[in-house]
Amino acid sequence: MHVGLQHYLVVSFMLFSLGLLGVIMRRNLLVIYMSLELMLNAANLALVSFSRFNNKLDGQVLVFFIITVAAAEVAVGLALIVALYRKRQSAHVEDLTSMKL
Amino acid sequence: MNASLISLEISVIGLGLVLMLADFFVPAERRRFIGYAAIAALGVLLVAGLSGNGSCSQFGTAFNGMFVNDALSLFFKRFFIVAAILVLFMAAEFSDRLAAGSIAEYYSLIVFALAGMLFAASSNDFTMLFVSIELITITFYVLVSFQRGKLQSLEAGVKYLILGALSSAFMVFGIALIWGTTGKLNFTELAAVAPQFADSKIFLLGVLFVLVGLGFKIAMFPFQIWAPDVYQGAPTPTTAFLAVGSKAAGFVLLLRVLFTAVPSVTHNWANLLIIISGITILYGNLCAIPQRNLKRLLGYSSIAHAGYLLLGVAALSASGQAAVLYYLAGYLFTVMAAFMVIALVLRHLATEDISGLAGLSQRSPLLAATMTIAMVSLAGIPPLAGFFGKFLLLKSVIETAQVTGNHGYYCLAFTALAGVIISLYYYFGVVRAIYWSKSATDLSPIELSAPAKVSIWVCIAGMFWLGLFPNMVLNFANEAAKVLGK
Repeated sequence: MHVGLQHYLVVSFMLFSLGLLGVIMRRNLLVIYMSLELMLNAANLALVSFSRFNNKLDGQVLVFFIITVAAAEVAVGLALIVALYRKRQSAHVEDLTSMKL
Repeated sequence: MNASLISLEISVIGLGLVLMLADFFVPAERRRFIGYAAIAALGVLLVAGLSGNGSCSQFGTAFNGMFVNDALSLFFKRFFIVAAILVLFMAAEFSDRLAAGSIAEYYSLIVFALAGMLFAASSNDFTMLFVSIELITITFYVLVSFQRGKLQSLEAGVKYLILGALSSAFMVFGIALIWGTTGKLNFTELAAVAPQFADSKIFLLGVLFVLVGLGFKIAMFPFQIWAPDVYQGAPTPTTAFLAVGSKAAGFVLLLRVLFTAVPSVTHNWANLLIIISGITILYGNLCAIPQRNLKRLLGYSSIAHAGYLLLGVAALSASGQAAVLYYLAGYLFTVMAAFMVIALVLRHLATEDISGLAGLSQRSPLLAATMTIAMVSLAGIPPLAGFFGKFLLLKSVIETAQVTGNHGYYCLAFTALAGVIISLYYYFGVVRAIYWSKSATDLSPIELSAPAKVSIWVCIAGMFWLGLFPNMVLNFANEAAKVLGK
C-alpha cells in the first residue's frame, strides 16, 4: 500500500481529536496536560508531513519553535500544578471551585 | 535585512534581564524602588525611541518580511509601553502583598510580557505570531499565579494555563493547515494566494482555528469562560495588564490576520463576526449584573468591551479599524484608573467586594472621583474617552450597513446600544457604593504615595483628553488603519 499525505493527515486529525477529547473528558490535571501535549504534537505531525510532501522546509522550522515553546509551557505548567497540589492536596478539576459568582 | 528595526525590542528584553539581576544586588526592603527605575527606562524608550522621528520609529521590514515596522505597529508599541508603565506604578503599590522580596521578579516578568506584545505588534508572519503570543501567554501564567500563598491566585493560574494551552494547540493546528494548503506563512504573501483557496475546506478550517486562538486572547464568545475567574484570582496589576495589554495584543494580531493575511475570507465571514460580536456584548453585560466582586465584575465588563471592539472588526472598513484602535486607547486609561483604585483601596481588606468601596468619598475624594470617572467612561457617557470610542465604533457599523445593505449590521448596532443601557446598571452600582452606601464602617483617610497620585492623574488626564480632544490619536489611528487595507 502506498502511504500518502492523506494518511498522515488522518492520523494527525485523530491525534488532535483524541487530545481534545481527553481535555474535555478527563478530570485529572496531569492527564489533561498530557492530552494538551498530544494536541500540539498532532500539529507537529501535520507540519512535518506537509513539509515532506510539499518539499518545503518552513514547516520543519516551525516545528522546532513549537517544541521549544511547548517545553517552556510544560515547565511553567507542571510547577503550577505542583504548587496547587501542595496547597490543596488534590489535582482534580472538581476541586478548583474557590471562585464562583 | 535591517536589524536596527528591532532595537526597541532588544532594549526592552535587556531591561527585563537587568531587572532580574537587580534582585541579587538590591536588599529586599528596597526592591520596590527598582520599579521606578524600570518606569524611567521605559519612559526614555517611549520618548526617545517612539516619538515622531525617534530612532525606533523608522518603517521597514526585517527577517525576510517576518517583522514589520509600520504605522500600525508604531501605534501599538506606544500603547503597550504606556500600559506597562502604568502597570509598573500599580505593581510598586502592590508590592506589600507579594512574597517578601519577590517584587523585582514581578517587574521583570511584566517587562518580558511587554517584549512579547511589542513583537506581536510587529509580526507579519505566522511563526512570529505564534512565538510572540506564547511569550505573552507563558509570562502571564506566572504573573497570574504570582501570589503563590493564595489559593485563588493558583487556581486562576491553572485555569488560565489549561485553557491557554488548549487555545494555542488550536492555533498551532490552524497554522499547520493554512501552511499545508497554501505553502505560505508570511501574511503579505498569503494575501496574494488566499483567493485561490477560498473553496478549500482545510484552508478555511485552518483560518477558523487561528481565530479560536486569537479569540481566546481577547476573550470573545465562546472562548471567554476563563476571563472572570482569572481576573478575580490574579494579583490586581496582572489583571490590569491582562485586561489592557493582552487584549490589545490579541486585537492587533486579529486585525493583521483578518485584513492583511486573509481579507478574501474575512469578507465572506461578515455574518459570523456580526453574530460573535453581538453575543459577546450581551453575554458580558448580562452576566456582570449579579456580580459582587469588583475584579470579577470588571472581568465580565472586559468581555463586553471585547464585543464592542469587535463591532469595529465586523464593520470591515478602515473607519472601523481606526475606531478599534481609538477605543483601545481610551480603554487603556479607563481600565488602568479603575484597577489602580482597586489596588489602593482594597489593600487592607480581605474582601474585594463592591461593598469595600463604601465611604470612599470621605476616605479619599480623589480616588472616589477617579473610580466614578472610570465607571462613567466604561459606560460610555460623554464627554469621556469611552463615549467617543463607542460613537466611532457604532458610526463605522452603520456606515457599513448603508454601503452593503446587510440588515445584520443594524441589528448589531441595536444590540450594542442595548448592551450600553444594561451596563449603566452595574457601573452605577459601583458609583452608588462609593457615594451613597450607608454600611461604611472604616472612615480613616487613605494615604496616597506621590507616584500613585501621578499615575492616577495621568489616567484621568488621558480619559478627558481622548474624550474632548480626539483629533491627535484619531489621526494616528487612521494612519495605522491604512496599513491594513493595502
